[in-house]
Amino acid sequence: MSGFASRLAWLLAAIVALASPMAQAIDIKPLVSPGGIRYWLVEDTTVPIISITFSMAGGALLDPVGKEGTASLLSRVLDQGAGPHDASTFKTLQDDAAARLGFWAGAERFGGSLRMLRDQRAQSIELLRLALAEPRLDAEAIERQRRATISGLRRNEESPGSIASRTLYRATFGEHPYGRQVDGTATSVGAVTPEDLKALAARQLTRNRLIVAVVGDTNAQDIGPLLDQAFGALPPGDSVPEAPVWSPPPPRSGGRLLTVQRPMPQSIALMSLPGMKRDDPDWYAATVMNYVLGGGGFNSRLMNEVRDRRGLAYGASSRLSYYAQGGVFTASVATMNERVAESIAIIRAQFDLMARDGVTERELAEAKQYLVGSLALTLDSTAAIAGLLHQMQADNLAPDHLTRRRELIERVSADDVRRVARRLLRDDALTIVVVGQPVGLTATE
Amino acid sequence: MISRRTALGGLLAAGALAAPRFASAQGSTTLPHPGRFGVETFSLANGLRVVVLPSARAPVVLHMVWYEVGGADEPAGQSGIAHFLEHLMFKGTQKTPPGEFSKIVARSGGRDNAFTSHDYTGYHQTVAADRLEMVMEMEADRMTNLVLTDKEVIPERDVVLEERRSRIENSPAALLDEAAREAMFGRRGYGIPVSGWPDEIRKLGVAEAIAFYRRFYAPNNAILIVAGDTSVEAVRRLAEKHYGPIARREVAPRVRSDQPGELPRLLVRRDQRVRQPQWGRDFLAPSYRMGETRHAYALQVAAQIIGGSQISRLYRSLVVEKKIAVGAYAGYSAGALGLSSFGFSATPAPQGDIATVEAAMTEEIDRFLQGGAREDEIVRAKRRLVAATVYARDSLATGPRLFGLAMTTGRTAADVIAWPDRIMAVTAAEIEAAVRAVLVPTRAVTTHLLPAET
Repeated sequence: MSGFASRLAWLLAAIVALASPMAQAIDIKPLVSPGGIRYWLVEDTTVPIISITFSMAGGALLDPVGKEGTASLLSRVLDQGAGPHDASTFKTLQDDAAARLGFWAGAERFGGSLRMLRDQRAQSIELLRLALAEPRLDAEAIERQRRATISGLRRNEESPGSIASRTLYRATFGEHPYGRQVDGTATSVGAVTPEDLKALAARQLTRNRLIVAVVGDTNAQDIGPLLDQAFGALPPGDSVPEAPVWSPPPPRSGGRLLTVQRPMPQSIALMSLPGMKRDDPDWYAATVMNYVLGGGGFNSRLMNEVRDRRGLAYGASSRLSYYAQGGVFTASVATMNERVAESIAIIRAQFDLMARDGVTERELAEAKQYLVGSLALTLDSTAAIAGLLHQMQADNLAPDHLTRRRELIERVSADDVRRVARRLLRDDALTIVVVGQPVGLTATE
Repeated sequence: MISRRTALGGLLAAGALAAPRFASAQGSTTLPHPGRFGVETFSLANGLRVVVLPSARAPVVLHMVWYEVGGADEPAGQSGIAHFLEHLMFKGTQKTPPGEFSKIVARSGGRDNAFTSHDYTGYHQTVAADRLEMVMEMEADRMTNLVLTDKEVIPERDVVLEERRSRIENSPAALLDEAAREAMFGRRGYGIPVSGWPDEIRKLGVAEAIAFYRRFYAPNNAILIVAGDTSVEAVRRLAEKHYGPIARREVAPRVRSDQPGELPRLLVRRDQRVRQPQWGRDFLAPSYRMGETRHAYALQVAAQIIGGSQISRLYRSLVVEKKIAVGAYAGYSAGALGLSSFGFSATPAPQGDIATVEAAMTEEIDRFLQGGAREDEIVRAKRRLVAATVYARDSLATGPRLFGLAMTTGRTAADVIAWPDRIMAVTAAEIEAAVRAVLVPTRAVTTHLLPAET
C-alpha cells in the first residue's frame, strides 16, 4: 500500500470514529436516606470498595478578613483527633480500618472524602461521624497544622508558578474573595485562633446545602443508614453563604502586562480574560472554543504553534474556570527569558484569529468527538466517579446530565463558537503576568 | 521519571505501593482473583511479553507498551537521548504523519502520553474499548517504522530543553536532587539526569535518535499491557495480528554499575529562591535485583515503620513531640535494575534550625538500628502496605504500572502477584539485619537546601 493511501485510511478511520455511549453506562440514582440525607449513588461492584465525596457551601468564603486560610486550616485539623481519640489514636484507627479520610477547603465549598473497604464500612463511617460531629480541635494539633501550613506557604513563596498565579489572581479579582489564596498567607494563618476554628466548625459543618456522592460496592439499603450515622447529627445550618458579585477589571487598550522579576532562566507567563459562569447558555460553545485553542493538549492550536512548530515551550495550554459569581479563561506558557515575548505574541495572535474566524468545521467535529468521548475515560476508579457525581451536584446539574451534555455539545455550531470567541477573547480585557527575567516586555503598571 | 506532557502522579514515588493480590492457581498462568479481577500473561513468538488485566467497570481500555530501556542505557556523551527519543516517537511513520498520533487518539475521545525513567520508557493510550485495535496498530507501527527528519527533530530538541528548564533549572530543590544523585551513583547510569545535560542535549540529532531506537526498540525488549474492558482472547488475537509480524532483534543485555559515587557526601545548596529549608539523607541500598537483594522486602516494611505515615517514629518524634519539624519521612523503593536508595527527608518548622533537625533524625535512625522494631509496629506497617493492594485494584492504571515497572526491572508478573505474601512474611530479625546493612553513615549523601545567606 502506498504511503498516501494508507495515510488517508488512518485519517478517515479517525474521523468516522464515533464517540461511544460510555457516559450513559453510569446509572446515577438520586436518593434520600431514611433520615433525610440527599445523595447520589452509583453501584459498582468491581472492587469491594466504597468511595464517598461530600461538601457543604462555604469554604474560604467564610474566612474573616485578615484571617484568610481559616477554612483551609480547619480542613487540616479536622482529622487530627475526634471524640475520645487524640490525633495519633485517630490516625491509628484509620490505619486499622484501612480507611482513607481527608478534608478540603475550596473557594466556595468545604468538603471531604472517605474511601473504605466494604467490610470495614461500619468502623470507617464511625470515624467520619466523629470527625464531623465531635472534632477535638486540640490546641496542639492546631499548632502543628498551622506550622505545616506556614511551611508550605513559604515553600511556595518563591516558586515561579505560585508567584505568577498569586499575582494574576490579585490582578483579576482584586479585593473580591476570589482573589484570596484559599490557604491564606503566613500572616493571616498566624492570626487564626482556636476560637476562630471552633466558630467556623460550628458554622461550616452543617447540613446546609450538603452534597453527598457515593460510589462502590453498596446499595441504598446498605448505605442509607450509614449516611444517617455520618451526617444525621449535623445541625441544619442557617443561611447559604454567597460571594458578592464580581466585576471584571475595567478594559484598557492593549490589555495589562505585569512583570515580576526573578532570577530564573525561564519565564512563566499566565494570561487571563473574564470568562463565564457554569450556567451560561454559551458554556459548551466556550468549551469547544477552549478545546480547539488550548484545552486540547497535543491537538490544540496553542500547542501546535508554540511547541510543535517552534519549540518555544514544553507546553502551552488554556482552560475555563468558574465560580458562582463569574469565571475566567486563562492560558499559560513557560519559555526561556529571551523568547517569552515571542510566545506571548503568538498566543495573542491565536486569540485574535479565533475571535475573527472561529473554528473550522473539521476542528469543530474533532472537538465534539473528544469532548463527548473522553468523559468516560476519567471514570476509572470509584473515587473518580464520586468526584464527578459531587461536581455535578455542586454545579446544580440534573442526574441525567451526562446524556444531555452530549446533546448540548453536539448542538454547538461554528457560529456559536465565533460568537463566544468574540465575546471572551477581547484584547482590552486581557491581563498578562510574567515571572522571570523576560526580555523585550514592558509592564503597563 | 519524566513524561512527555504531565508527570504520572506519584507513580514511582509510591514504589512500595502494593500490587493487586491474586490467588495463584497452580500449573496455569491464569491467576483468578477472589473478586472479579484477574491477570494473564503470555508471550508472542517474537519475544513480546503480554500482560492482560480485564476489568469491566467501563467500556474503556488502557493500552501500554513499556520498553526495557531508559536513561541509564545511554551512550557516553548522549545524556537525554532516551527521553528525547520518547518525544520523537510522536514524530511519525509512513502511515501516521508527524504529530498525528496524539491527534488521532484525541479524535476518538482518547488520551495518550509517554514517560521515561532511568530503567524504562513507556507509551500509553486510554481509549474506548472499541478503539483498542486502532491504538495497537499505531503503537506496533511505531515500534519499528519511525521516520525522523531535521524539520521535526530540531524544534523538538528545543522543547526538551524548555522542559528541563521548567522541571529542573527553575527549581532549586530539583537542582539539589540532581547533584545528590550524581554523588550517590557517580557520573554514570542513575547519576545522570534522565532529562540529560543541556550541553549534551544540544548535540543530539536524527542520527543519534535512530541509532538508539534501532538498538533498543524491538518486540523482545518490550512488554505490552492491556487493562480494562477486554478479554485475554481478544488481546491475544490483536497482538498476534499487529505486533506478531515485527521481527525479533538482538538486544545486548543491559549493564548497571554496582559501584557507588563518592560517599559519604554533604551537599549544601544556598539559593535566594528558597524560603523553606529542607533536609535530606539518602543511603545507598539494594534493589530487588542488585546489591544485597535479600533485604528488599524488609526495607519496605522498615521504611513504613520509621517514616511512612503520621504514626511513624519520625513524625511522632520530630513533628508531634519535639515540634522541630513540620514533616519527617522515610521512603524506599526496591524496583530498579541497579542499586537503589533508602531516603529520609525532613522539613524544619518555621524559625526551626536544620542542625537540630539533622541531629534528631540521626538520633531516631540510630535508635532504630539499635533497638529494632516492635511487633505491633511491624503488624501495622504490613497491614498498611498490603491494604494498598485493594485500593490499587480500584484504579485502571495502577495495576498496569506495577506490572510494567516490575517487568522492565528484571522481575516477573509472578513477583508482582507474590508481593503481599512476601511482605507479610518479613520478620523482625530480617528488618534488623536489613537496616543494619543499609543505614551505614559512610554510604550516605546528606543534603541541605537553604535560603541565600543574608
